[in-house]
Amino acid sequence: MEEGVLRVENLSKWFTIRRGLLAPPLTLRAVDNVSFELRRGEAVSLVGESGSGKTTLGKTVLRLYEPTSGRILFKGRDVTNLKGKELLWYKRETGLVQQDPYGAMPSFMTISRILEEPLIIHKIGTAEERKEAVFKALEDVRLTPVEDFAFKYPHMLSGGQLQRVAIARALILGPSFVVADEPVSMLDASVRIEILTLMRELQEKRGISFIYITHDLSTTRYFSEWIFIMYAGHLVEKAPTKELIREPQHPYTQALLAAIPDPDPENRKRYREVPPGEPPSLINPPPGCRFHPRCPYVMDVCRSEEPPVVEVKPGHYVKCWLYAKK
Amino acid sequence: MGSAREGKVKSIVREALSYKSGAAGVGILIFLAALSIYAVIAIPYDEAIRMWRGQEAMWLDNPRTAAPEWIQFFSVKKLPKTIVLDSRTRSPYVSKAEVEMPGLNMKKVIIEFRFVYDFDELPSELNIFFFSNFSGAGAPLVTINWVKPSAETITMAKYGLRAPDDRLYVSISDSILRTLTNLYSEKYPVNTSERLTVLKLLFGKVDGASLESGEFEVEKGTYRLILEALVFGVQTSFDAKAVVYGTIHGPAGTDHLRRPLEIALLWGTPIALAFGLTASLLTTFIQLVIATVSGWYGGWVDSLIQRITEVNMVLPFLPFLIMISVFYKVDIWVILAVVIALSIFGGGIKSTRALVMQIKEYPYIEAARAYGASDFRVILLYIIPKILPPVIPGLVSAVPGYVFLEAALAFLGLGDPFLPTWGKILNDANTNGALYRGLYYWVLEPAAMLMLTSFAFAFLGFALDKIVNPRLREM
Repeated sequence: MEEGVLRVENLSKWFTIRRGLLAPPLTLRAVDNVSFELRRGEAVSLVGESGSGKTTLGKTVLRLYEPTSGRILFKGRDVTNLKGKELLWYKRETGLVQQDPYGAMPSFMTISRILEEPLIIHKIGTAEERKEAVFKALEDVRLTPVEDFAFKYPHMLSGGQLQRVAIARALILGPSFVVADEPVSMLDASVRIEILTLMRELQEKRGISFIYITHDLSTTRYFSEWIFIMYAGHLVEKAPTKELIREPQHPYTQALLAAIPDPDPENRKRYREVPPGEPPSLINPPPGCRFHPRCPYVMDVCRSEEPPVVEVKPGHYVKCWLYAKK
Repeated sequence: MGSAREGKVKSIVREALSYKSGAAGVGILIFLAALSIYAVIAIPYDEAIRMWRGQEAMWLDNPRTAAPEWIQFFSVKKLPKTIVLDSRTRSPYVSKAEVEMPGLNMKKVIIEFRFVYDFDELPSELNIFFFSNFSGAGAPLVTINWVKPSAETITMAKYGLRAPDDRLYVSISDSILRTLTNLYSEKYPVNTSERLTVLKLLFGKVDGASLESGEFEVEKGTYRLILEALVFGVQTSFDAKAVVYGTIHGPAGTDHLRRPLEIALLWGTPIALAFGLTASLLTTFIQLVIATVSGWYGGWVDSLIQRITEVNMVLPFLPFLIMISVFYKVDIWVILAVVIALSIFGGGIKSTRALVMQIKEYPYIEAARAYGASDFRVILLYIIPKILPPVIPGLVSAVPGYVFLEAALAFLGLGDPFLPTWGKILNDANTNGALYRGLYYWVLEPAAMLMLTSFAFAFLGFALDKIVNPRLREM
């Protein structure tokens, strides 16, 4: 993989849970020892079920959480411990689109003010220029006529329109890397594809690197070049989208793909193999491979030692003992 | 949250007025504000202090502890008003004649005051003030004659002036009482009552029965008070003023020092409003900021602020204030500062912090941090505007509490020593036994002002509460 915009090395984010004065605090390993790279202008879908740590990973990479260990390299710079002005530079270079478009907007600000805030914080332009930039941003997300939207309050807009505003806000500083955290899961099914298409279009046009966090594998193939599969705080499989869909290697990925409903009448006769059990607790994760309690191919080594990351094909990595060179 | 109203003061005001309680509150507030403006313009600060601190000398023509004049509407009796007669001013009720005594360097000055007394009750006092520029031993000798409507003439006293501005408190003079009692007991040989007073004998219909019972009916008609002064030195002046004090005075009555209460009632309004509003505003906003900092940063900052608050909430508030007022010379601003300082770490911090803890997890805060908003900006522009609407009704409702507190301190004698305030009227009333003596107006007037103020803010607070907490709305 060539040198990318973003390089994450052995990143971990552990949360400490205090239980009271005397009880020892617990550690929740939301993201554990994750490494990946993201190339310029490419989109990655980060897929995993609820609680797998995909949102935590996205927010830690954006430095919304302090990483517990590991390094984040952005454009060749170590941004893991940036502070003050330099962190502000990183914030300007990155963007975030959240899941809940209603909650993501300060209800007491107008749309134009909401979009202007990042510009004010980064001291960009005069009031006149900022207004122009805001109008341009609204145009880019196709909220036209712009004047109809600029001076409204968030509650006057629909969820889809608000998510467009959120995208405009994430992109208004001209970032080169954006995290979209389940950007359409709270929207009406009718506007989901519209929003995703808009995001994809802007991403391709501006050469932005994208992490698209989702639990919906079915949309990923249209909107990303890569798919990363996350399970219980580990990245278990990284592969180009088509390859991963065609040839999933990790038992968890295989199960996940098998669970996608396919509208084919023949399907009712087919037996779907679903791994039994639940994802493990991240407070006390099982030793070895975290998937081993549910894995149909479990071996002795899986129970005691963490699996290595194996490149099964160029660009296709799997964290599984099945593919380890003996 | 996320209602249409947030951040729009105008529509909140408009909606507040649409509630009856809101309109009533705003109405009373406008009245109080107008009263304050009037007070400050009509009686400038220094003037108010001077009038209130000027003690008796300034108000010698006012009756003591007189009820307000509008009491007359509720009384079938005609209550006496004060009658002032002055020989230095021309008036059809006053005549003055000077007769020089040839070769003796002496003169006789005869001053005659005439007044109609047709009230149903006795006056409260009768004083004669003398003005003469004599020097040395040449003090004028005055013979004081009293002519009743029945033309009965009484020589009350022969009085030698002791000072150029001497005064004779006729109504409490023992020698005059003795003279009058002797005079009438010679005329009516009965056992005279112990309850005779100068005023009863001067203004009452005197007969055997009334002398024995001590109950007199007022003799209505034209009275004359004739002063015959023997003045030494032709150049020496002699003038007099007679004041027949009534029992009602002015729009608000007077206190034990003859001061008109309206001065303190008027001036108490801007003081109470300013004190209450400032205390409430500052306390609320400082609390808001501290609570937001506490909730936002968490950790040891939060723990520290919360522990300070808890300790402060347990400490007794009033004893502290009393202690400070006793040990230090305090004026209203020091009291205000102390009240604010003691109130800051109060319950408001707890409730606001709870709100902040909730709001800081909102996605829009995270979004702001993602595009680089500083802690300062997030607190000021993202969290405080969100918690402001639920805090405002509390701010408004807290105002009367501080107004009452100021009055309570003044009542305890711990307030500002100079300013005329409602609490101070209550303090005076209390120390002078107003309720025991039946002087209800003295207590009820400042109490009414205090109640009016708290009604205004309470009503407005209810209305605002309904707007920002839609669940409280009536169906």
